[in-house]
Amino acid sequence: MLHKAGLTLSDGTTLDDLINRDMNEVSLRVMNDKELYELEMERVFARTWLLLGHESEIPKPGDYVMRDMAEDNVIVSRARDGDVHVMLNVCPHRGMKVCTAEAGNAAAHRCIYHGWAFRSDGSFIGAPIEKEQMHGNKHSKDELGLKKARVHLYGGLIFATWSKDLSFEDYLGDAKFYLDQLFCRTDNGLEMLGPPQRFVLPCNWKIPGEQSGSDGFHTLTLHRSLMEGGIMGGTAESIYDTAPGMYGVDISVPQGHTLRCLEAAQTFKMFADISFEGKTTEERLNLLTPPGVTKDMIPQLFKNLSEAQVNQLATIPPQVGGMFPNILIAFIFAPRMDGGASGALSLHTYVPRGPDKVEFINFIFAEKDAPEDVKRDMLQNAIWSTGTSGTIEQDDADTWPQIMRNSRGHMSKTMTLKYQALHGHERPEGWVGGGDLYPGFTKDDTQWAWWSAYYDLMAEA
Amino acid sequence: MTVNYATAAIDKTSVMRGLVSTQRVPLGSEVYNRLLETLYDEAAALDERRFDDWVAYLEQDLVYTAPLRLTRNGPNKDRDVVRTMKHFDENHASILMRTGRLSKSAWAEDPPSRTRRFVTNVRIAQCDTAGEYEVVSYLYVERSRFDNPENESITAERRDVWRLVDGAYKLAVREIIVDQSTLGMSNFAIFL
Repeated sequence: MLHKAGLTLSDGTTLDDLINRDMNEVSLRVMNDKELYELEMERVFARTWLLLGHESEIPKPGDYVMRDMAEDNVIVSRARDGDVHVMLNVCPHRGMKVCTAEAGNAAAHRCIYHGWAFRSDGSFIGAPIEKEQMHGNKHSKDELGLKKARVHLYGGLIFATWSKDLSFEDYLGDAKFYLDQLFCRTDNGLEMLGPPQRFVLPCNWKIPGEQSGSDGFHTLTLHRSLMEGGIMGGTAESIYDTAPGMYGVDISVPQGHTLRCLEAAQTFKMFADISFEGKTTEERLNLLTPPGVTKDMIPQLFKNLSEAQVNQLATIPPQVGGMFPNILIAFIFAPRMDGGASGALSLHTYVPRGPDKVEFINFIFAEKDAPEDVKRDMLQNAIWSTGTSGTIEQDDADTWPQIMRNSRGHMSKTMTLKYQALHGHERPEGWVGGGDLYPGFTKDDTQWAWWSAYYDLMAEA
Repeated sequence: MTVNYATAAIDKTSVMRGLVSTQRVPLGSEVYNRLLETLYDEAAALDERRFDDWVAYLEQDLVYTAPLRLTRNGPNKDRDVVRTMKHFDENHASILMRTGRLSKSAWAEDPPSRTRRFVTNVRIAQCDTAGEYEVVSYLYVERSRFDNPENESITAERRDVWRLVDGAYKLAVREIIVDQSTLGMSNFAIFL
């Protein structure tokens, strides 16, 4: 049985057996354990904030999209008052889904089973044949609405939580300084370019989850084809000498969010000759706009961000990272084969579908005020690199299920994942943002921070 | 123009509909037989991983896309092909980038999948431009990965335009309309 304090599985294994905090090792068993999975649903996914979409998907009253908070199906809806609501897609009558479409517009959601109906804010309207009071007399109508989650909009991104007390500010912590630079930098914000790509992989959610804790090192090997293509600063022969994309400043916060800040010159060959030496912030931005930002948006950056934030965005912008527990951020410079470089802005969520399956959801964005041709370009960039057919993420999607398969072996699952190449916190001179900072070659610190956040939530009964 | 797919009407082209032209090319005719043979040869080139042979079928102005499917209901229940977002959004150059990658460290296909492309229900009509044919086919792909005894599979309708160039048919347009809104295949490292 499970103890109230800490975590002990029914065979006596404790959380400290699974996650060895002295050695920075994690048992492979965590990737394939039904009991642990059930606890994650309660202690991780019902306790933290989860990303569901973007308000640009549902601009008008009645607009809705169907999404999932872990295995709980929810309706994300804009009500008549303009507010975004998130509610469980479970009819309080007999458990049917009250909404069966992935997206649409409805003034009311009427369950097709017995006809109980709900407003777009989740409140109960009534059951058919009002005079017969088919909702009974034990509950008032006020009590029969769809179960609501708390909602917070951040840069238009729709987050929701079942937690009663975790504030969004506490969830973000010191990551806000950096994430603002990606999500809150322009007057009209981001726009989702279409419904997300969705696909299911046969692996536990934590396999992509821990990678989203800013695993930079795998890029050199797993994504070797990026270097072979010649667009990054290196060739197939010089990959391990030049280590393109490996040197920057990695960041983590105790909440488990992580980011990799990289100078453009460190990533793609075409930017290597741009000299920022002695240039002002504005001059640097004009020389090379951050991914997704066009030159005429530069004054907006100064308006929406602090001086320190703009300065970082112009020098060493956050490009990839993750938000705990299951969000990957890829706001990347993306040179096109035809020589242009408009970037790619993509967020993923890795949604649990049982202990051995995960749904990969790929949300693709552009700045709302970007010209149509830039949006078109960025959509294509994101599709070429990320998601279902993306030439970068194809290789991830093929690797994770093989780790999963290994987690089933009697001996194999006693093996450990190792996070022992650690840099340790070191504040670069003149660095303004908070969090734990790891300048130089990308190491295991950020991924260990991800596991530490996981440990903290799982240890709390 | 960004389409608000959550709200009401999308353009009519999002209705699932195959052949547009009414100038049908009958089954068994010379043109039908040659195009069908080309589809079979193309599928064989991909199944046998002869990518240079496959690329030789592609026109320079190729448009190769795979829109999303979205589960919708009520008045929009048939408008379920969403072209604002895609699984593939390719041109000739990007296809060459993809096939070029497959010859190097593309772990998603190294070791490679073993694939079978079944092409059926082929319907053909003449386009307005002479020598161009609208070719609609059903595609069923079984993909065997590593030593996994369970295949991944995908079904789709393909709406192509094939163009007669120097006596051979070349692919100018392909739209792959998959049936799943959530794909069960773990990636599209293969061509459809």
